Amino acid sequence: MYYPYFLAYMISGFVISLIVLIWALRNGQFKDQQRARFLPLEEGLETEPAKVSKIGKIEAYALIVLASLGLFGTAATLIFSLLKGG
Amino acid sequence: MSSPEPEMPKTYKTAKAFCLTSAGWFTMATSAGMIGAGYLIAPDFMANIEWIHFGRIRPIHVNINLFGFVTPGLLAAAFYFLPRLLRTELYSEKLGIVSCVLWNIYVFAGVVGIGLGYTQGREYAELAWPVDILVGISFGLVVFNLLMTVRQRKEPILYVSIWYACAAVLLTATTYCIGNVIWRPDTGALLGIPDAIILWFYGHNVFGLLLTPLGLAVAYYVLPLVSRSPLYSHTLSLIGFWSLLVVYTHIGTHHLLQVPVPTWLKVIAIVDSVAMVIPVMIFLINIWYTVKGKLGVIYADIAGKFIFTGTIMYFFVNIQGSIMSLPQVQRVTHFNNWVVAHAHLGVLGFAGMTALGGLYYILPKITGKPLYSRFLADLQYWFVLIGVVGFTIGLTIAGLIQGNAWINGEALYRVLPEIHIYYVARASTGLLVAIAAYLGLYNVIRTLFFNPGVSR
Repeated sequence: MYYPYFLAYMISGFVISLIVLIWALRNGQFKDQQRARFLPLEEGLETEPAKVSKIGKIEAYALIVLASLGLFGTAATLIFSLLKGG
Repeated sequence: MSSPEPEMPKTYKTAKAFCLTSAGWFTMATSAGMIGAGYLIAPDFMANIEWIHFGRIRPIHVNINLFGFVTPGLLAAAFYFLPRLLRTELYSEKLGIVSCVLWNIYVFAGVVGIGLGYTQGREYAELAWPVDILVGISFGLVVFNLLMTVRQRKEPILYVSIWYACAAVLLTATTYCIGNVIWRPDTGALLGIPDAIILWFYGHNVFGLLLTPLGLAVAYYVLPLVSRSPLYSHTLSLIGFWSLLVVYTHIGTHHLLQVPVPTWLKVIAIVDSVAMVIPVMIFLINIWYTVKGKLGVIYADIAGKFIFTGTIMYFFVNIQGSIMSLPQVQRVTHFNNWVVAHAHLGVLGFAGMTALGGLYYILPKITGKPLYSRFLADLQYWFVLIGVVGFTIGLTIAGLIQGNAWINGEALYRVLPEIHIYYVARASTGLLVAIAAYLGLYNVIRTLFFNPGVSR
């Protein structure tokens, strides 16, 4: 009998999430979202930015090529699986 | 409540301790992985050494990766950015150190226990009951420290990384105890199908409610800093956070679609798995728009490079997850090496790379000196990337061969020789990841303790 464990966990999770959400609403966590966007930048820009290099750009392009191949591979896997498993 | 000048923590001892923990266990995790890969190539490899035979070395590898390498790496970054974003100090560095020591004790105890045969035999929940209790206490201490830091904050608004980091440890502390059935110390399990259901409920959440939110927290913190751009939309990031909580918690049963579990549970699992596209795309659109046009800058920074690559892996692993939950697709892709590829893409490709990026971001900040060797970190990046891509390609092909053979009713002994070459390829690329781990440990130790760099 797994229902009691599941239900207890799901209900407690739901209730806790709801309490936190209500707290966040009342506490103004969803206001001033414009300022929230800048919070990491407000305290963290204490060093010079790293210099852009040609190798870095090549690395970025290599990653894009890899990602494109990955997309192709994922699509091929999906088609193969649907043909075989469907 | 807010102040113009942030009050910075002084020591970062906890962040340093978790950095070292992560880098150290990464070497152990990959070494165990190499031994496991060796068994798959030659089953009699180290056959007479009982404590590292395949049935033990595989859970050792998995548990070290999960609890020794990735989670501490992400926590190290969290222990750094939480106080900074909240403009306060960590509630207790002493408590942080205690939790880190306890963390290492439980990982060590878990590894030794599994090596000696003390296992509960449930995937991702192998650790013996006393170790489960230590895990619960360690997570509890981390939760307490982080929440008390939030409580004493001087910044009223909680940035999205805070939400994700706190939710990750809080939810996992609970999920771990339930999934490991800690109220039954003798077995750590329920009986029959209900145990499979609760195990996979935990098994998926230990990734989805621990590594995912912690990884996203680190990405949301580091990438705006590296690209020097504000987050594209904080509102969108919060919608992503709450939708992840709603959707992710019930998808574990998609690993049991070919098992006699109740249909309603399968339907929930499939629907929520497909719905995962919502929080995932919210995060990706948000973070990619944040760094839009700044790929050169991202790639000039070692932390940015690791974490941006992690976001790409996150895209792929989640698309795979959603697709795999469809029963038609799963008939071919489940119960074979396709899932192993998926797991490596998620744990090493997304969460592992993000953890490494987090480490490389905070190391210069917490030591006050530049990274010991940017070259070694770059080398590590490429070794890990080639390793992950190699795993994914090789194991996906092997998995599809196995799935195809299963549907065709072919005998196992005919399939194994067909996939042998992919096991060799996996071990070869795995060797690169293992080398990368040792390079990383050397770099971290030199940066922390023997760094000749000029203090900033």
